[in-house]
Amino acid sequence: MLAFALRRAIWAIPTLFGVSLVVFLLTTLLPDPPPAAAGADVDARLKVDDLRRARFLDLPRFANVAPRDVVTRVDECVAHIEKNDDDADLCERRLVQIGGAGLPYLLPRLDNLAPGPRGRIALALAPIARRMGVGEERDLGAPDRAALFWERFWEDRSVDFTEPAVRREVDRLVKRGSDLREEELRVVDTFALRQLVDGMRVTKDKEALVRITRLASHVTGRDGMIKSDDDASRVRAVISDWQSWWYVHETDYIGLQGGEKVTASIAQTRYAKWVLGAATGQLGLSTRDGVPVFDKLLSRAPVTLVMALLALLLAAAVAVPMGVLAAWRRGHAIDHVTALVLLAFYSLPTFLIAELLATFGRPEDARVLPVIALATVSLSVMTQQQRASMIEALGQDYIRVARAKGARTLRIAVVHALRNALVPTVTLAGVQFPALLGAAFVIEEVFGIQGMGWETLRAIESRDAAWIVAVTLLCAVVTTACLVLSDVAYGLLDPRVREQQMRRRRAT
Amino acid sequence: MSDDPNRESIPLLLQRPSMTTARPPAPEKPRLSIRVPSARVETTGKMGSLRSWLGAAGILLGVLLMMCAVFADLLASDLPIACKIHGKVVLFANVVEPADLVALGPEGIAREAEWSFGPLVQHGPGGRATSVTTNAEGPRAGHPFGTDLHGRDVFARVVHGTRTYLVFALGAVFAALLLGGLLGSIAGLFGGAPDALVGRAIETVSAFPPLVLVLGIQAAVPHATVVTLFFAIALTRWPEVARLIRAEVMQVATRDYVMAARALGASPLRVLRKHVAPNIRGQLAVLGAIGVPGVILIEASLDFLRVSAPMGAATWGETMSEFRDAHGAWWLLAFPGTFLALTVVALTLIAEARRDALDPRSRY
Repeated sequence: MLAFALRRAIWAIPTLFGVSLVVFLLTTLLPDPPPAAAGADVDARLKVDDLRRARFLDLPRFANVAPRDVVTRVDECVAHIEKNDDDADLCERRLVQIGGAGLPYLLPRLDNLAPGPRGRIALALAPIARRMGVGEERDLGAPDRAALFWERFWEDRSVDFTEPAVRREVDRLVKRGSDLREEELRVVDTFALRQLVDGMRVTKDKEALVRITRLASHVTGRDGMIKSDDDASRVRAVISDWQSWWYVHETDYIGLQGGEKVTASIAQTRYAKWVLGAATGQLGLSTRDGVPVFDKLLSRAPVTLVMALLALLLAAAVAVPMGVLAAWRRGHAIDHVTALVLLAFYSLPTFLIAELLATFGRPEDARVLPVIALATVSLSVMTQQQRASMIEALGQDYIRVARAKGARTLRIAVVHALRNALVPTVTLAGVQFPALLGAAFVIEEVFGIQGMGWETLRAIESRDAAWIVAVTLLCAVVTTACLVLSDVAYGLLDPRVREQQMRRRRAT
Repeated sequence: MSDDPNRESIPLLLQRPSMTTARPPAPEKPRLSIRVPSARVETTGKMGSLRSWLGAAGILLGVLLMMCAVFADLLASDLPIACKIHGKVVLFANVVEPADLVALGPEGIAREAEWSFGPLVQHGPGGRATSVTTNAEGPRAGHPFGTDLHGRDVFARVVHGTRTYLVFALGAVFAALLLGGLLGSIAGLFGGAPDALVGRAIETVSAFPPLVLVLGIQAAVPHATVVTLFFAIALTRWPEVARLIRAEVMQVATRDYVMAARALGASPLRVLRKHVAPNIRGQLAVLGAIGVPGVILIEASLDFLRVSAPMGAATWGETMSEFRDAHGAWWLLAFPGTFLALTVVALTLIAEARRDALDPRSRY
């Protein structure tokens, strides 16, 4: 049985892959942030760049032939500055952003550059030195003095710029934490970022987190410091913010080595970054109110899901007895009456039923009415299924045998027939859930319930792309999960189906 | 007890298209002497014909709605059917819409025409909603279904909305049948990789609740129009067509006459056209009849939620959505709602009747 369930779950993987592709294509339809105007100042261009990078628009869609890392970024910047073209100013700022992480690839090359660019770069690096707390203003102020300063700096300090050394330092900072260590780590600047972000993930110690985030925001110039009197939820929010920032920007600060270079051609693409981000809950910020979409989903989705689940249970609670009764009295008045009532429910649109209930229902029933309105969506389908399977069960030989041995009517109906006739209805419930999810969007709007659907409609009004994409993805994943559950339930309840499904799947 | 086991009465069997049909039980076996209540059969001639009677009712209703859509202009329009104005007789002005009469407007025509013969209701559906609203007013002389928040005649909007929805839904269903039929027959005929690919595509698209997918596409596409909406809805509906066609094609492909045709060198296309198509035509009709109400319900929901593309034409959903701003204006909900429900009922009954005609086994 476990094997069957596992297999069924594995079959869902291609579907999930397809779903991710479809939703990804949806995201590519969304309007891109406009590129900065040609004459715009450096700050505006950096800002647009950041916006684009947050949606991975700087990466190719499916295959990255030449993945960029800190080395190539530094090279590009140096080349632009050497040529002294339009991007030179921007590149100076970028080098400052890259900071300490780029120095091992930049400083050894300074000697080989022509005096002009060398001085310019050395001068441009001054903010890094200030960040590190080294050097004096008179050293950093003039081109040749600055070049000399950086040369000396690299002679003295290059030993600090190694992965193991930094890892050791960060470890110690996490475990024992002292101002002196913080001071030392400040000197390697962004070179320590990878270890710092790792440290945030690992440690639970608040004092250590305060130090780490202080360092990280110092070297990047971002907000996101944890203070010692912050509560747990804010600490979590800050850390997840740092992690999603790192997820977007990591290639600014790390060099890809060996195997990483190979996997990067796939991992450093828009699709891969987006899928992995979505899978780990990094769905971006809602453009409507700037709240992380994942947090919003956490608060909105349960409302809708619980409502749909309750509606499903209600529908089943009504449909099963009704279907059984209709099947038992097949061809009688009651059968026709149920059929007509169901036809009425089937033909009225959900929003009409909801609107009628909302208008004529008593206000004190406000919690029940939406569930009732939603339940009518599945009612007729489930009743018909229950009726059909009950009729089939009643026609079986074992019912005749039960009659023959003198079992009571009720016992025949419930124990012998219904037990078998329930199986298709139970599995149908799994398929019905997604339909209810869609209908819930309408119901929420009518009753003003602030669930996923309500939020989605607000998002459409304000063209909040991140939320819409997230909701579409969530609904598809829930639907797929329901299908898997429904199939597994079918197999669990009926071994014949299990075998048949295994065989059929192998055949195709 | 029954005298003829084949003539049982069958109540309506409603099914959503995606639903798995439980197989009917085996044919009646020779009766044991035990009386099983479930197998008791009530067949009188009258009840036995209920089903075909309902099918006929469905077709009648469907035809009425179609006529409503086709002759919408004759039922409700600003312009007269015939009139004599400025010394000349104009016929079917409401269909042809001559520019001078349109420019005159209803008041102008009433003032200047010597005589005129108007349609049933002498108001057109009106243009697009503006932000200016008045009070919705109930049914009264001249406005049998009342007026909406913009003073537009509800009867005209309902009648013209029939046209909008039927055309839209028939088009979307046709597109879905085309796409689904194409992909389904490719999968069924060739098997192997194409089949696997189409299979995954079917599963992928059916993984989205239709309304959610349509909302997502409408929201994501910049400058969404009716055309994107049309294709978005068609996109949500093709998988069920493809699934059915694929199964049918596969089943037919194993028949002797198809093998014989293949052995004689018939191309897959010819097999599809000559041997497969006649077998699935009826099923396609059923799918189409079920698909139209499905599309209309989604489209009406979108209009009701006011997230649909601007149609530029009257829709039931829009009228019903105005009910949310005009509480107590029951006519805004009741009349379009009735038309909507009647459409769904008519097409469902037709689909049921077709299905029964195709599949005698379902007459259990």
